[in-house]
Amino acid sequence: MTVTAGERRVDEPAVPVPGRRRRTTELGLLVLAALVICGAYALASLGRSASLPADIVPFLGVILALLIGAHIANRRLVPAADPLLLPLAALLNGIGYVFIARINGDLAGLQASWTAVSIVGYVATLIVVRDVRALQRYRYTFGLIGVVLLVMPLLPVIGREYFGSRIWVSIGPVNFQPGEFAKIALALFLAGYLTERRELLGIATFRLGPFNTPDPKHFSPVLLAVGFSLVVMVFERDLGSALLFFLLFTVMLWVATGRGSYVAVGALLFGGASYFAWSQFSHVQDRVSIWLDPWSDPGGAGYQVIQAAYALAWGGTTGTGPGLGRAVRIPADESDFIFAVIGEELGLLGATAVLCAFLLLAGSGLRIARTSGDGFTALLTVGLTTLIAFQAFIIIAGVIRLLPLTGVTLPFVSYGGSSLVANYVLLALLVRASDQSARRVAEPVVAR
Amino acid sequence: MTRQIRILTGVILACYLAVFVKLNQIQVLEASDYNDRPENTRALVRDFNRPRGDIVTADGVVAATSESRRADLRYRRIYPEGELYAHITGYYSFRFGSTGVEREYNAQLAGRTASLQLRDLSGFFSDPSTEGDVILTVDSRVQTVARDALGGLTGSVVALDPRTGGVLAMYSNPTYDPNPVSDNDGERAQAVKTFLDAAPEKPLLSRAYQDRFFPGSTFKIVTATAGLESGVVDEQRPVFETVRTYTPPLTRRGLSNFDGASCGGTLFVILQRSCNTSFAEMAAEMLGPGPMIAAAEAAGFNDVPPIDLTRPVRSVYPTDFGAVLEEPADAAPVHENTPALAQTAIGQNDVAATPLQMALVAAGVANEGRIMVPHVMAEVRARDGDVVERFDVRPWKEAMSAATADVLRRAMISVVTDGTASSLQLPGATVGAKTGTAQLGTTPPRSHAWMIAFAGPEGGEPTVAVAVMVQNVEGDTGQTGGRVAGPIARRVLEAALALP
Repeated sequence: MTVTAGERRVDEPAVPVPGRRRRTTELGLLVLAALVICGAYALASLGRSASLPADIVPFLGVILALLIGAHIANRRLVPAADPLLLPLAALLNGIGYVFIARINGDLAGLQASWTAVSIVGYVATLIVVRDVRALQRYRYTFGLIGVVLLVMPLLPVIGREYFGSRIWVSIGPVNFQPGEFAKIALALFLAGYLTERRELLGIATFRLGPFNTPDPKHFSPVLLAVGFSLVVMVFERDLGSALLFFLLFTVMLWVATGRGSYVAVGALLFGGASYFAWSQFSHVQDRVSIWLDPWSDPGGAGYQVIQAAYALAWGGTTGTGPGLGRAVRIPADESDFIFAVIGEELGLLGATAVLCAFLLLAGSGLRIARTSGDGFTALLTVGLTTLIAFQAFIIIAGVIRLLPLTGVTLPFVSYGGSSLVANYVLLALLVRASDQSARRVAEPVVAR
Repeated sequence: MTRQIRILTGVILACYLAVFVKLNQIQVLEASDYNDRPENTRALVRDFNRPRGDIVTADGVVAATSESRRADLRYRRIYPEGELYAHITGYYSFRFGSTGVEREYNAQLAGRTASLQLRDLSGFFSDPSTEGDVILTVDSRVQTVARDALGGLTGSVVALDPRTGGVLAMYSNPTYDPNPVSDNDGERAQAVKTFLDAAPEKPLLSRAYQDRFFPGSTFKIVTATAGLESGVVDEQRPVFETVRTYTPPLTRRGLSNFDGASCGGTLFVILQRSCNTSFAEMAAEMLGPGPMIAAAEAAGFNDVPPIDLTRPVRSVYPTDFGAVLEEPADAAPVHENTPALAQTAIGQNDVAATPLQMALVAAGVANEGRIMVPHVMAEVRARDGDVVERFDVRPWKEAMSAATADVLRRAMISVVTDGTASSLQLPGATVGAKTGTAQLGTTPPRSHAWMIAFAGPEGGEPTVAVAVMVQNVEGDTGQTGGRVAGPIARRVLEAALALP
């Protein structure tokens, strides 16, 4: 399936676009990222065994090959795209890999394979999606796909439960978390649906008690989809994803309509849902009491967050150095808690660098949204950016006990194939949108 | 939509700023609080992966060292002398933390004091080993003799230099081998520790400074101090009546001398013969509680000695003898518990002392009334041998005036020449001593045998003070203390006097 925007072929530059310089910048940044990753990899090995890794040269070669592969795809398919997006993702992905390899060598091999698959997924998405705007047409299909993906883990036979969350699907030899892909599908659905209905949703014509609200008939499919996702996730016990979806829904609705009342209603709904979840589910109560006082059960429920705090504190400003920390004893340190390991070994400086990388990603995403020129692309990029920025925020805030801990992965950094592939697909959509925005700016006459 | 996107940018920025602030709080502001929490093992892991200084005796015998090996924890602690220095070095265990010198001087051994770290400014660029060796005041020759002389007896020997407070020997029996407790294998260490904790004779506890016993007649030195300091007693008067028993006011239960003997005379004589009746009368009728409490506390009772070892206990002397009932013009006031006061004068009733405390009593007499801060660390040396820290020798208590000390010194010397401590007569040396037999009131009779003493070259200043306590021995006659503890004290004094 090749999606094009009808009469005009987008992959054929009509007028000079700022592509060449942007791609050169990207190449430079990618080489820089590769060097940083290799340096960290070598240091982690030196820290652990006082010797350089035997595979450092092939390692550098594979990294460069993967990144240059993605870069060539960018040159050919999206020459005008923002030069920051791919290098930032590569840097986060590479740092994540270095720490996964440092924590568990067996997982490193798998993560490397998943990275290769992800790059392929990234390029494939760029090839398939020639015009982001065309995706609007398939909004209900995406809605359906999203819902099906969400329900899959609850099905008998293929659904699997690990660590208390039923978020896995196992078909034959393949295990994956469909929720990681569902969030993209739902962002696509919401963007399409809200673009279509934003006028109607922005006007309050219906009286509900003392409030004027939009007509419920415009509103109900959105509420239904989101309500459904939340119900499913409560049953899957995936609180982090539930929170993420709520944020996605509220942010997109508010950005589309500009009505602050949606945010208020969303906050109210979320407050109510949180209270309900807290009063009904013991695992939610546990999360909250651990957040308030982890030291009430330092060896049990509070162990993870306490160990994370010890790891971060031990790292101090400059960190212990890669391979020299002790955070490898934290359960889930290669996935949800990888930020604690990074914070211990790279210190406040390294942790802040990771934060900055996510901020720059978010900034680039929102800049694309501002310059995109069409409602659907803007809304979609806002949604995708929200997903990355807030997913990173939710898990980091949980690890450092700023918020109650809700297990989600740290995008691009954590171990996990589903998460990595999904985030690279998401990145490809952003890059594609970015390319289109840049061309639109470069072709003022045509665009108007 | 532009406005919303701008606000969203601000919200995301605010969220990440909050994360950054919280990170600063954890990683910078409160980092040391987290690092110091007891269940946080990071500091321990770091220390077990770094070289650690040795603990060495004054004469160069290694009491504790670190052995490097290929394992998770790169160093393990070795005590080449086994149990000989266990109650001084303590143990250094990944599982149980540390005790003794290992704990008190952990920063020096690990190389984390400023004086050790600032020696090598290249440390800003590399990670040089800055660990320091702790040199003890303890001398292996005296320590070994103390162990051998005590043999299989339960008890303790403390020998120290009265001029500095530096401990020359400190041994407590039974003891333990710190090697298996310090095993990096947690399971093995746990098995040994569980066994040691459960052992009824408490080998982990040092009887020298972590346990208290009735001091018996050795406490008469403190009673005599009270008498001399308050001025009611001097070398010539009073002459205590020679009696078999003394009955304090308010009771009909008399106090008798050892073996039912008749005893009395001047201060020197009653010390030489260890007359219970005379000292009980001195405290109960001539002194009263005030001077007794003052003398005991001036000697260090009711205060934890500031020795550089873990959890030393204070020795106790009662401070409450009840209300005043009578204030005779020519005698001490009579309190409700004056009978108890009479018993404390001879080191019974509620008096309890560590052997360390009783060694300090002898040291005070030997050092013109001044008790120095007891300590086992002499100095800390960097690995290249430079001394980076020396123990700050300073007084702890003014036990008595120099004049009182002079009288008591001669009195204690007379106890050796003419009294119960004749077993301590050493050719070529001047020795002063006081025996003690703290009766435990059991059938058959048992007691703690004591000897406190000081010694120096003939006619010179004392260079060693010693306390020997043998716990729970058979018999409770006046000779028990001198017979059991005397020979041990003699060998330890000889060894100490032989030091260069």
